[in-house]
Amino acid sequence: MVGKRKRDASVVSRATASEDEGIPQQPPVDASYQDVFRKFFEAQFQPLEEGTGGQVAGGDESEEESEDEGPEQSGSEPEWGGVSDEDDEVNEVEVVEHRDAETQALMDKQARKAFMTSKPPSSVEQTTVKRLKKDKDAEGEDNATDADNLKNDLALQRLLKESHLLDSASELAPTGKNRIKALDLRMQELGAKASLYKQNMPSSHRRGIKAKAGMKEDKRRREARENGIILEKPAPKSSSTSTKRRERGVGGPSIGKFAGGALNLSKRDVAAIQGPRRSTGGRGRGGRGRGRGGRGRGSR
Amino acid sequence: MASTSQPPLRFTSHKNLVWRLVFSTLTGRTVQISQIRPSSPTNPGLAPHEISFLRLLDSITNGSQMEISYTGTILVYKPGLITGSASGTGANSGGVIRHELPAGCARGVSYFLIPLCLLAPFSKAPLKVLFTGPGVITSATPNGDMSVDSVRTAILPLYNQFGIFNNIELRILKRSNPGPNGRGGGGEVQLVFGHQLRLPKTLHLMNPGRITKVRGVAYAVGVSASNNARMIQTARGVLNPLVPDTYIFSDVSSAPFVPTSEKTNPSGKKKIGLGFGLSLVAESSTGCLFSADVASPPAGGEAPEDIGKRCAYQLLETISKGGCVAPAGVATMLGLMTMGSEDVGRIQVGREVIADESTIQLARDLTKFGAPGWGLRDASGENENGDVIISVVGRGIGNVGRKVA
Repeated sequence: MVGKRKRDASVVSRATASEDEGIPQQPPVDASYQDVFRKFFEAQFQPLEEGTGGQVAGGDESEEESEDEGPEQSGSEPEWGGVSDEDDEVNEVEVVEHRDAETQALMDKQARKAFMTSKPPSSVEQTTVKRLKKDKDAEGEDNATDADNLKNDLALQRLLKESHLLDSASELAPTGKNRIKALDLRMQELGAKASLYKQNMPSSHRRGIKAKAGMKEDKRRREARENGIILEKPAPKSSSTSTKRRERGVGGPSIGKFAGGALNLSKRDVAAIQGPRRSTGGRGRGGRGRGRGGRGRGSR
Repeated sequence: MASTSQPPLRFTSHKNLVWRLVFSTLTGRTVQISQIRPSSPTNPGLAPHEISFLRLLDSITNGSQMEISYTGTILVYKPGLITGSASGTGANSGGVIRHELPAGCARGVSYFLIPLCLLAPFSKAPLKVLFTGPGVITSATPNGDMSVDSVRTAILPLYNQFGIFNNIELRILKRSNPGPNGRGGGGEVQLVFGHQLRLPKTLHLMNPGRITKVRGVAYAVGVSASNNARMIQTARGVLNPLVPDTYIFSDVSSAPFVPTSEKTNPSGKKKIGLGFGLSLVAESSTGCLFSADVASPPAGGEAPEDIGKRCAYQLLETISKGGCVAPAGVATMLGLMTMGSEDVGRIQVGREVIADESTIQLARDLTKFGAPGWGLRDASGENENGDVIISVVGRGIGNVGRKVA
C-alpha cells in the first residue's frame, strides 16, 4: 500500500506539471480538487482549453490509477478521460539540435591577421578585441598609443635615473632645487660640457657664497638651540681638499711638483723629507719621505 | 657528461618512445629501449617516424650517440648537449636546421613539434627547424596527432605560463593533409623557438575558470573553400549557443606538388595531401586551453558538416574533462614543471585526464628518470568534476647549456 501511495503522488505531480510542495498529496477524488489544480496550473502556465488540456492531464492519471489500483479510485474516473496509454509508452527521445550559426559576424581583417600569424596567439588578441570596439580611426589611435608609450617610456627612464633626488614617493615630478638638479642631470646626459653647478666665478664670490651659507646654517642652529628645538646633527664636515691626498698619476713624482723639467720642492715637502726634528723624533713617526725607513726603528 | 658512470635506464616497447627520448635528453641519462615492436611480422623495430625523430634529436644536439640493433627492436640512446641551431652545427646559413621527413611518414608533424618544443627552452642557442620533405602532414591525422594550427594555438601558449614567450613562432609555409593511405604529405613548417632560459618558472595553476572564447582554423588543401564554410557553419551551430564569442577562420591553400619517385617518369610531380579539416581551441578566463582537431580521412567520403560537428563535439568533450590542462598539453606542462626549479608547482587536472593511459605512463617514466613522485590530492573548493591537483617538485636541472660555471 505504501508503494502505491508513493506512485500516486508521483503521478499527480507529473499530471499537474508543477513540482510545487504545496500540492496536496492525495489523489484527486473530487471535482473541486480538480478545479483547484486547474487554477493552479493556469496561474503557472497558460489557460487551458475547456475539455481538452485539463481532461487530458487528468485522464492519464485516472486510467493508470484505475488499472493499477482498482475500485477505490474509480470515483474520479468519469471526469478524467483523455490520452491513451500508447502515448505514455512511446518514450521517444526528442533530439534537439541547437543551431545558431547564421550570425557569423565577419571578423575584421585585423583580428584575422592577429590570429592567423605564425606567433602563438596570447595577449595579442586582447588588443584586437579592444580595437574591434572602436575600429574607426585605427591609424590615429595607433599613433596616439605609440606616442603615449613613448611618453611613458621617457617618464620611466627619468624616474629610474632621478629617483635618488626624490625624497618622497608622493611627488614624482621634482620641484625647486630638485628640479634644477634633475635638469642638470638631463643636460649632462645630453652632452652638456659642464654642470650647472660648476659656475665660473671669482673666488671671492664663491667664498662669499660659502660664508653666507655657513652663516645661515649657524643662525638656524643657534636659533633652534635657543628655542629648545633639536635639530639634525650637522653633516660631517667633508675633509677639505687641502687635507685630502691629491690624486696623482702613475709614474709621477711622489713628492714635489714636476714642472718645466725640474722637480720643485716646496718648504713643506722639504720638511716632510727631513722629518721631524730629533727632539720630537721619539714621539711621532717619521715624515712622509722617510716613511717606514730604518731610521724610525733605530730611534727607539 | 656526468651520466657516463650511470647505467642506462631500461625501457621496453615503442610506446611513449618520443617522450622517453626527450626526458633522456633533458636529464642527460642514457636510455636503452628494447622490445620495440618485436612481434610485428611485417614491420618490426623502429618505425620511419621514430627514426626521423632520432635524426632530429641528432641534429639539434651535440655529442649524442644512438645505436640501433640489427632488427631495430633495441635502441640505445646516449644524449648530448642540446645546442639548438647554432652556426656550424648542421644549420644552414640562416641558422635553420632543415629536417626532411620521409615519404612513408604517417604521423603528423605535431608528433615532432610538441616534443621538440619541450627541448627548445633548454637549448643553448635559439632553435630553428624547418620541417620539409615528402612526409610533412600539417593537418590532424587519423593516428590522433593534432594539427599544426592546434600546436600553435593550444600548445605554444602554454609556455607563456612558464615565462617562455619571446620570439616563438610556428610558420606554416605549406599545408598538407595526409596523402594516400594516410602516408606522406607535402607540407612545410618552420619552428622558431628563440626563448632559452635557465629554469622555467614554478607554476601554480589551480583555477580552470570558464570558457570565454573559442577560436578555430578551418583549412582546405587543394579542395574547394566551400568545405571550410560548411565545417565552420556546423561547428558554429553547435558552439554558438554555448560560447557566443566563437570565431573560426578559414584558410584555403592549393595542394602541394611533390616529385614522384617513379622510375618511368623521374621528373614527374603529383598533387598530394588533399583534404580539409578543422582545429578548434577554447580558452578559459584563466588562460587554460582546450583544443580539438578533426580532419577528413585520407580515403575521403566524409562530409564537411560531419567533420565540423565532430570537431565541435570533441572540443566540448575535452572541455568536459575539466582541469586546467587538456590531455594534449599534459606532457608539455608536467614536463616543464619537472624540469623547473626545486620548488613545488601545482596544477589542477581533470580526473579523466590523469587517469589517461599516457599520463600514467608519463608519470612512471618520469619517476624512472629520477624525478620525485607526484603528489595527488583532490582539488578543494566546489569541485563537482572531481578534479585532482598534482604537485610536482622540480628537479632543478634546467638548462645545462646555460649553467653558469
